[in-house]
Amino acid sequence: MSKKSSIESTNESARRQKADEGRKKPGVIIREIKRGEEESAGELIGRLKRLNGEFDPLLKTSSNLEAEARSSIKSAMSNKDSVVLVAVQEEIDKVVGVVKADLIDRVFYEPRKEGAIVEFYILPEFRRGDLGNKLLASMVDALKAKGAVLITAEFPSQNEIAKKFYTKLGFRSLTNVYAKSY
Amino acid sequence: MARSKNSKKEMRTTSRKRTAQRKGTKIADPSQLALTYSKYYEGKVQIIPKVPVTSLNDFSIWYTPGVAAVSLEVAKNPDLSFEYTNRWNMLCILTDGSRVLGLGDIGPEASLPVMEGKALIYKYLGGVDAVPVPVSAHGPEEMIRFATQIEPAFGAIHLEDIASPKCFQILDSLREKLTIPVWHDDQQGTAGVILAGLLNSLYLTERKLKDSRIVLLGAGAANIAAARLVISAGLPAGQLVLVDSKGILNPERQDMDQLMLQNKWKYELALKTNDEKLAGDLDVAVKGADALIAASKPGPDVIAPSTLKKMNKDSILFALSNPVPEIWPKDAREAGVRIVATGRSDFPNQVNNSLIFPSVIRGVLDVRSKAIPDEAIISAAQELADFSKRGHTLDDEHILPTMMDREIYPLVASAVGEKCIQLGIARKSMTQRQLRERARVVIEQSQKTIAKLQASKLIAPMSGVRLDAK
Repeated sequence: MSKKSSIESTNESARRQKADEGRKKPGVIIREIKRGEEESAGELIGRLKRLNGEFDPLLKTSSNLEAEARSSIKSAMSNKDSVVLVAVQEEIDKVVGVVKADLIDRVFYEPRKEGAIVEFYILPEFRRGDLGNKLLASMVDALKAKGAVLITAEFPSQNEIAKKFYTKLGFRSLTNVYAKSY
Repeated sequence: MARSKNSKKEMRTTSRKRTAQRKGTKIADPSQLALTYSKYYEGKVQIIPKVPVTSLNDFSIWYTPGVAAVSLEVAKNPDLSFEYTNRWNMLCILTDGSRVLGLGDIGPEASLPVMEGKALIYKYLGGVDAVPVPVSAHGPEEMIRFATQIEPAFGAIHLEDIASPKCFQILDSLREKLTIPVWHDDQQGTAGVILAGLLNSLYLTERKLKDSRIVLLGAGAANIAAARLVISAGLPAGQLVLVDSKGILNPERQDMDQLMLQNKWKYELALKTNDEKLAGDLDVAVKGADALIAASKPGPDVIAPSTLKKMNKDSILFALSNPVPEIWPKDAREAGVRIVATGRSDFPNQVNNSLIFPSVIRGVLDVRSKAIPDEAIISAAQELADFSKRGHTLDDEHILPTMMDREIYPLVASAVGEKCIQLGIARKSMTQRQLRERARVVIEQSQKTIAKLQASKLIAPMSGVRLDAK
């Protein structure tokens, strides 16, 4: 029931990021997550999961969502095969966006190194600039630096907004996950 | 102070009660009367001819074979249907019965009495031939499809009593698709009359809309539409703060993503209103506010006097919930509010859709307009507000004309018609004087017809109906 979209990373993302530099929303920077930001990044992951819950009852969030979100960020921060980037409003040092990806070794396929974007959330009022594109471009670069040449992103099948976002950037549907509850 | 004494008296007794007390008669319950009379008259509106029929031979003109020539003309140019038929004056009152009055989703059949009532008001106050059309429709798409299909029969469509948020999607989509005006009274009608009342309240308190801070309590159809309209009318969106059952609307609220998917109109407002990024409850929102417009839930304890005390000096309150306003006007004034308006006729300053919808529709029909843009609604509100300014009563207890001021209908209609002509969406052009005269004649003719039918007892007097008849 969730889908994975993919793109073979090229120079495209670097060029895009360069173009993006010029029209950066003032005051928001993108960087790796720092110690002490687990709480606020976890809060955004919590929001993302609740948004997912809007799309399908099988994505109904658990009661300890916030704590789980925090600890998943924490463990990602100490895992060399995970990358967590945040968009931060500079003046007030506030986390307004987060993206998390894991490096996967695709033993059966080539290319083998996959960068899988598993969490991606931006607060509503920061959505309409170009922050989404920039955050993604930064993540693509970070994953490439770690050797990934295939980038994938997963999101609920019903999330048309995400579908549009990735399709526009050249991603396409790669695998389907079907679900049935018993 | 004569004013407050007077209003206290108003609060105790409604005008109807006072009349009854004067006459020494017992007050009849409107619900009982409605049941009795509706059954007796078997409905409130009917269709009657507007051409002479002196012999059956006349039907060869009005019907076949003569009528074929007219059809062929219209076939060449469908817009001629506005000239050769009554389409120019035909209004479809369309509902799915999903939010009827305060009764909720009671279904299309149960909405029929209400739609008939609306049709009656249209005929009487606006001279509009309105047809009640409650439909069994599931979801907004079916309503949109139905309205699109029925467009050729009508000069305009009036959406009524459709639940929020689907009413937004239906209205926005039809406004885009159809080439006849579409009106949703619970949105544009209420918003229009709110704007008119607000303009005069701001005038009385020496404020300008563009410099005001306004709080809206309740984020249903009426207030979402009011927010959109006052922004169109010139209030910077950031100076507006919306408050709903979850508190102040701001872009960091936890339900934002849910709103994005389920109520994008409210979501948009959350993003562009509230520049100060206030969060919390109504008490936080009203600090330093000039006006509070409440269309939330029936009172009287929805707004506390202590809340109102936090507003600016000379504050303005519209407490529009029915049947009981969010706070009693007397209590609001005691808490320091200067201008109080409600949705009720038994208090001063009734904010009443009936002041606006018959004339807006009259106006767009007269010029065969293709739409009712926000500019036209703002013109209607401005005209309504100006009417009070122009030598008629305008004070803290009379911020708006009342339905008794019959002259407003042709005036507002012509203001709307003129705006549509200006915007290039009218099929027919007229001068302002012609517009006014046209509206006046059509409305008068309708009222004269009704009077004649009553005088000749073709419409039987109500006094002849036994009230105990079941």
